[in-house]
Parts: sequence; C-alpha cells; structure tokens
Amino acid sequence: MITAKQFGRTERAFDWVDLAVVGLLVALIYSMVAVAREWSGPLQPVAEIHLEARYLPLYALFSLSRGVIAYGVSFLFTVVYGYAMARVAGAERLMLPVLDILQSIPVLGFLPGFVLGLVHLFPHRNLGLEMASVLMIFTGQVWNMTFSFYSSLKSVPPDLVAVARLSKLRWWERFFRLDLAYAATGLVWNSMMSMAGGWFFLSISEAFVLGEHDFRLPGLGSYMSLAIERGNSREQVFGVLTMLGMVVFVDQLLWRPVVAWAQKFTDEETDGAESWLWERVRRSRLWHACLRLSGLISYPSRRTTSQIEAPSPRADHVRQWSKPLALSLTVAGVLYGLVKYAHLLATLDGGEWLDLFRSTAATFLRVLSAVALASLWTVPVGVMIGRSPRWSRVFQPTIQMAASFPAPMIFPVVVGGMLMFGVGLGISSVVLLLLGTQWYILFNVIAGSSSIPRELWEVSRLARFSWRDRWQKLILPAIFPSLLTGWITAMGGAWNASIVAEFIKYRGQTLATTGLGAAISQATERGDFHVLAAAVGLMAVTVVGFNRLVWRPLSHRAQTRYSLNE
Amino acid sequence: MIMATVLLEIRNLFQRFPLAGGQSMQILHDISLEIREQEIVAVLGPSGCGKSTLLRVIIGLETPSSGQVLYHGKVQSGLNPSAGLVFQNFALFPWLTVQQNVAMGLSSLPLGEAAREKRVQRVIDAVGLEGFEEAYPKELSGGMKQRVGFARALAVEPELLCMDEPFSALDVLTGETLRNEVIDLYTSRTSTVNTILMVTHSISEAVFMATRIVVMGAHPGTIRAVLDNPLAYPRDERHPDFFKLSQKLHALITQTVMPEEPARGAATGARRPIVQSIPTVSLAATVGLLQVLENEGAVELFELARGVDLEFTQLLLVVKAAELLGWVTTPGQRVEMTEDGRKFLRANINTRKQLLNARLQEVFVFDLIIQMLKQSDKGELPDEEILCELALHFPHERPQRIFRTVVAWARYAELFKYSGTRKVVYGLNPAR
Repeated sequence: MITAKQFGRTERAFDWVDLAVVGLLVALIYSMVAVAREWSGPLQPVAEIHLEARYLPLYALFSLSRGVIAYGVSFLFTVVYGYAMARVAGAERLMLPVLDILQSIPVLGFLPGFVLGLVHLFPHRNLGLEMASVLMIFTGQVWNMTFSFYSSLKSVPPDLVAVARLSKLRWWERFFRLDLAYAATGLVWNSMMSMAGGWFFLSISEAFVLGEHDFRLPGLGSYMSLAIERGNSREQVFGVLTMLGMVVFVDQLLWRPVVAWAQKFTDEETDGAESWLWERVRRSRLWHACLRLSGLISYPSRRTTSQIEAPSPRADHVRQWSKPLALSLTVAGVLYGLVKYAHLLATLDGGEWLDLFRSTAATFLRVLSAVALASLWTVPVGVMIGRSPRWSRVFQPTIQMAASFPAPMIFPVVVGGMLMFGVGLGISSVVLLLLGTQWYILFNVIAGSSSIPRELWEVSRLARFSWRDRWQKLILPAIFPSLLTGWITAMGGAWNASIVAEFIKYRGQTLATTGLGAAISQATERGDFHVLAAAVGLMAVTVVGFNRLVWRPLSHRAQTRYSLNE
Repeated sequence: MIMATVLLEIRNLFQRFPLAGGQSMQILHDISLEIREQEIVAVLGPSGCGKSTLLRVIIGLETPSSGQVLYHGKVQSGLNPSAGLVFQNFALFPWLTVQQNVAMGLSSLPLGEAAREKRVQRVIDAVGLEGFEEAYPKELSGGMKQRVGFARALAVEPELLCMDEPFSALDVLTGETLRNEVIDLYTSRTSTVNTILMVTHSISEAVFMATRIVVMGAHPGTIRAVLDNPLAYPRDERHPDFFKLSQKLHALITQTVMPEEPARGAATGARRPIVQSIPTVSLAATVGLLQVLENEGAVELFELARGVDLEFTQLLLVVKAAELLGWVTTPGQRVEMTEDGRKFLRANINTRKQLLNARLQEVFVFDLIIQMLKQSDKGELPDEEILCELALHFPHERPQRIFRTVVAWARYAELFKYSGTRKVVYGLNPAR
C-alpha cells in the first residue's frame, strides 16, 4: 500500500530528528535497564530516599516509568472492558454500574488489597510493591478513559459499520480500523487528563504507611513526601521543579505530537493543535520506515484466507456454556465479597459510625464549597477565554500543563501559609480541594463558551442586553451542559482529593481535621481495615448517590433543554 | 427483446421493525421482485416507503423478518458476495486516505500486494480520482467524496452495484455529472458491473437512468407498479417520450400517495387502516401552496411540481394536507382551490387560527386526542399515552412523526398545548 515513492515529496534527508530519535532509543534502553534493576531488587519496604538533588533525575525516571506502565495497563483495561461493555450483548447492564462504583472508590480504598496481595505474591522482590504502586496510579487514570472509549463505541456511525461488514473485515481489523480509530480523538484527550490524574496521587502511590508497615519506593512522589515531612523547603522547591519539568517533558514530547497526529481521526478540518516535534517526525526518514513496516503488518497478503471460516461446532458448544458459567461465577464472587464486607462492617460500633457520618457531612460541605469557589473564578475567566479564539490558543496549553501538575505537591506551602494567618486545616483543606479540581471546571467552561455561535453574541448585542441579561439569558444556559460536565468531574476529583487534603504530614507533625478523607487516611495508617472499609464504602455510596440523585437529572435537563445542537 | 436471465429474486419479503414498548412497525409488506441481468432498476417511492430497507435486505445487511432473497437461484444468507453499495452520505472513513478507503473492501480478498495495488489504481482512474490518492475525505468536495464511494464499491468488482440515493447529497450540477458518468460506466461495459439497482425519490433521475422503474407505496412499503423504460441512452430530458414517462410516473405516484378510491390497497393484500393519519408536513408549506394557487385557482399537479422547488412526493403530501383541511380538491391530476381555501387565505391571522381550530376538530387524529383529553382527570395527558394510541391506530407509521406534526398544527390553531419539558398535552381550547 504505502510505498516510498508516494512520500517522496515530503520526505527529507536524514536530519537531526533521526539522530534525536536514535538518542532517545539509547536513553530508553538505559532507563529500562535501570527500572528493571530496581524492580527485581530484593524487597526493601523502606527504600532509602536521598534528598540530594542529584538523585532527582533518577527518581523522576522511576516515577515516569511507573506512570507510563500504569497508563499502558489503563489502556489495555479500557480497550478490553470498554469493548466488552459496548459489544457483548447484555454486558453493559452489569458492567456500567460496576464501573460507576469503581470510579467513586478513592485510591486508598484499593491500597490494602493491592499491597498485601502483591507483596505476598512476591515476598522477596521489589516487584510486588512496584506493581502495587503502578496499580494505584492506574486507579487514578483509568476510569474516564474507559467511559470515553465506551461512549465512542456506542456512537460509531451505522453507515461505517455497514461498510466494515460489506468489506468483510475480521473482528480485529474492524476493531483497529473502525472502532479504535473512531474512538481515537476522545481517547487521546482523556489520556491526557488521565496521565495528570495519575500524578495527583503520586506521593501516596510511592510512599504510604499501612498498619505497622511503612512502604517507600524510590521516586519523585516519595522524595516530595519525605521533603515535606522533614520541612526541607529547598528540597521541596527542587522536587516541584523536577515535577514541572516532567510534566512539560511529557506534554511536549508525548501529548502535543499525539494530539497533532490524532487530528487525522476527526471528520472536520481543524486548525489549532500543532506540535513542532510531530512536524519534524512526520517528515523524517525513520517515521516512514516505521510506516512501511506497519503497512506490511496491517495489510498482510492473504492467499490462504478461505481456510479458516465457519466456527467449529465445538466453539459453539463452548459459547453456549461460557455465558451462564461466567454469569454465575460473577454472581458468586459478588455475593462472597458482600458477605465478607458485611462481616468487616459488623464489628464497628455506633460511636464509630456516628463519627464516620459526621466526617462524611464535613467533607461533603468542603467538596461543595470547593466546587462553588472554583466556579466563582473559573466561570467568568473561562467564558472570557473561550470567547476569543486567540486567547484560547494562548491559554489552552498553559492551563493544560497547570492542570497536569499534581496539586498535593504544593499543599504544604499553602497549609503553611494559612497556618501563619491562624487558619486551620479544616478551612484550608477547602483551598486544597480547590487547587486540585478547579481545572476541570475551567476546561469545560472554555469549551462551552467557545461553542456559543457568534450569531447569538451578536443578537445579545443588538438587543442591548444588560450585563445581567447577557449572563442570565445567553451565557449561563449556553455553557450549562459543559459546566455540568465540569462540575461532575470536579466533584468526583474533590472527594478523592480529600484523602490528601484533610490529612497532611508537615514538618514532623501530622495535621488532620474531621472529614471522611482524613478518616480514610488515618485508618490506612493505623491498618484499621474495618474503619477503612466503612469509610471507603460511605464515600462510594455518597458519590454514586449524588451522581444518581442530582447530576443525572440535571444532565438530562441539560441535554434536552440547553443543548446548542438540536 | 430477449428476456435476460434472472440475477436476483425477492420472494414474499416482509420486514418489521421493533418499536419501544413491545410494539412493532411494519416497513415492508409482501415484496416480490425479479432483477435481471443487464438492467438498471430504479426503486422509486416517497420517504418512509422502506426503499432503503429493501436495498439493505437485498445486499444482506439486514435479515428479512420473513421471505427470501435468491441470488443466481440460491437462497442468500448473510452478505451478498458480489455486490457493492454506494451510500447516500458517502460513509467514508475520515482517517483513511482516498486510496486506503478504496482498498477497504479488498482486504478480505485473496489478492497479492501488487494485484491489490493495481486494482485500486484502476478503479481510482476509472472514477476520475487520479491525483487525489493521498487526500483525506475532509479535503474533498461532495462530488469527489461520492467518487470515492463509487470507487470503493467498484473495487470489489461487483456483479450487482447497489446505490442508495447516491446523488441526493450533492448539488444539482455535480449530481448531473455523476449520473452521466454512471450511465457511461454501465453502457460502456468496461467494469464488471452487470446490473445496477438504485434507490431514489426523484422521478426524473429514475427516468434518466433506469431501464426499469419499480414504484413503491408507503405505510407499509409495497410495490405498486413496475414500468419498463425502453428509451435509448444517452437520454434527452426534452424528448417527448421522456416527458410522457415522467408524467405517467407522476400520475402513478399521485395515485399511491393520494388514492382516488380507498379500496385500492386490497389488490396487494394489505389491510389498510380504516382512518387516515395526517401528512407529516408543516402548515406553513400548506399555506404556501394556497398562495401559489391563488391566482390560477386550479393547476395540473405536474405543472405545479415544476413551478415549486420541492421534491414531488413531498409536494404531494402538502397537497394531501391541504385537501384534508378542505382547502383544495384534487379531481384526477388537478389541484383546485375551494371556497374554504379562499376564505382562509383572505382571513387575518386570528380568524385563520379560528378557522383552522374548527376544522382540525373534525380530523380523526385531533378528535382522538381531544376525546382523550376530555376524559383525563386533570385535563392533562402524558405524551406516552398518545404515542401508544397512535401506534395502535397507525401500525405502519412512526408515531413520533405523527405526534410532532399534530403538536405543531394544534399549537398553530391554539387547539391544545404541549409542554416539551413536562411531556404532557394540556390546555384544550376548542373554538366554537
């Protein structure tokens, strides 16, 4: 299909990009060796973390590799789970609510299971602990990707499906050329968000206390948490700078090129996303060599196709069996889990429950205030940025990067500052939640405001709308659907963030306030699985309940009444 | 003329489509048709007659509820192995280049790399896309996109080429060019295409292209007539025979959309609904028709169709709506304005609403809803109840479409109101 001749026009001579790619390959091989050495090393629950700056590049490499591997796992999970949910008949009735619940469980809810299970599995190697850490980062990345992939699969245009069927594509051909390609745009944007979401809990994922055990893995997150615990400001600044560098590095070398490349999957002519790197790579010789290679892979000669066709009767037999078997196994598993869970909860007394409920209420109030405060500044600013294409172009990348930076890393500075003014953690944790979740609202408001048709702005000017009318009659209704999406994401994020915002180790002291997040953090540290189970359950129930009772009816209203496309 | 061999045969085909709430709608009713070698068959019919569904059943994309499709005398199950399909809205993969789009259907064929490339190049040349091989669909105009659609269908070297309104998403002039190119392709016999089956709602397109024209009626979709078109290619639209055949088709379609005698459907075995629903057209278009008729008072339907920029079956629905409201009568192929029509036209907006209000109360669908509203306890009715009732009375039509039209007319006549947020019909206000 793709021959060198066709690319002759755009292909350039061997230039520095090819050199850079080769250099990158060498660096990659070195990193893999370094990471492999760390992973296969003997188990050291508390790895020694060096606070000297020269260790930072290596730590950043370790953290980055965990993030990337976690992303790989997220991608695989997304593809398998999303595909099954959308395409296996009847599967979504069970899988969709399960996903909904899973995404509402905070990262610490997964921690004991992952750590204890995997460390038991590899008692003498670091591998178990590393895998647990990767899985924890994974839980911060995966859910929105899966939802995005699923909804893309559900909306593949029927005509394209007809073409795929007429072309007699095999399921995997159809998957790569139609399903995955159609979902690519949404998947890329969600991947960017996911990567950022994974960094958010980096400190927890690399350094945590579980009962008597103190676990620490070398990495940027553990470096930061140690620096914060000891109150070393210089090291904290170094850590933040390294993290910033890593975010910029990933943004420029990974996401910008990927976004630019992914434009080919959209239907309409777009301008905007540009990437210097992608431009160079696209024209380089190595890339075309790769293309040619992939051309061979995706268009293999098929002289022997007619041999493997009709499924054997045995396969039918298996299919007949497998569905009820899978279903009954799932049901049995769920029942077993429920019984175990009930046992755990049964040991809690009334006082503990009362405390937990009080904590839930406190965190609920904080989450609401954080979302409200965030809306106060993000809505006007976002509308302003979204209105002007020029401003959007300027601000969008910066905001994206700011959002990728894990806010918990600057929590101590904020808390320290507020303590000086005599503000306790109870109030300042609201600010911390705000720091972590405002970006989601800002993004969505910008998107909503930029999609208001120019004609409507013109009408509002011609009608000489007052400032108030303009907001009430035009802007707020028009951005409402996007704002709602922002709120839902921000609120989910804020609940999760409460576990790092309400409980902070700072300069050798432990700061905590009443709240569900603090309850979860403390229970993890004490190794009190009963309280942990109850608190995580409460959080999941609250989040899912709020989604069902408040967000879902509102979304329905947004779609039916305030949607700009009829 | 020697009777050519039969390529494809459809026997007693029925197609049903499940609706929400356990009900189903019949789309195709007892279709039997033969498609022979070396012909261009055009399936012509108003929207909602199931002609696209018929095409998809023939090609194997949909399985018939009952009945059979025979290809070369063998019962066809699954996809037709030697058919290509051209889509109305192109259905191109935005992320693939022209070349890759065209090669799409070839990946399942046992072809070598070189043979495949050669074939792709050949069809690309045949449809005039040289130079566009590396372009992505979003860079192409509508006409060029549809050329890619043709090339993709031709690449599999089909015996039967199916086309689903292939020119209706294009502008008039581009459509004209592509129509001629398809005829050239067919008459020159340079491709493997033996027979073309196309679906269209344009009478002139059918007369221009087809050797045989199948006229379908709607609700449910049935075959009303099959006409031969012996005109020689290239056809001239000003030729008297061309004109005669189009006029005949106009009359046929008029007869299907607005039957003179209601018992006509018995011949096809269809049990017609006892009552008529309403044509799903806007009132503004219907009033517009009166405006057009105002000067002449009466006009031939065929003339009218040339005077207004509206697809013929759509125009017929408007005429039908005007007739239902008592504004026109349609003796034969003529449309005549009635005294009621003149009165309505002369009236001011408020009187118009009153006239319409009174008139609608006598129309079955509206009377049905009025009675239901009177019996409801709060003078309110959820739309679901009405949709159910409509589905019962009109089993061959989409209840939502009727409902939308009913609400639009009733709102204009201030007969009753509908709240889209609460999803209830309320506020009955019959003028007297």
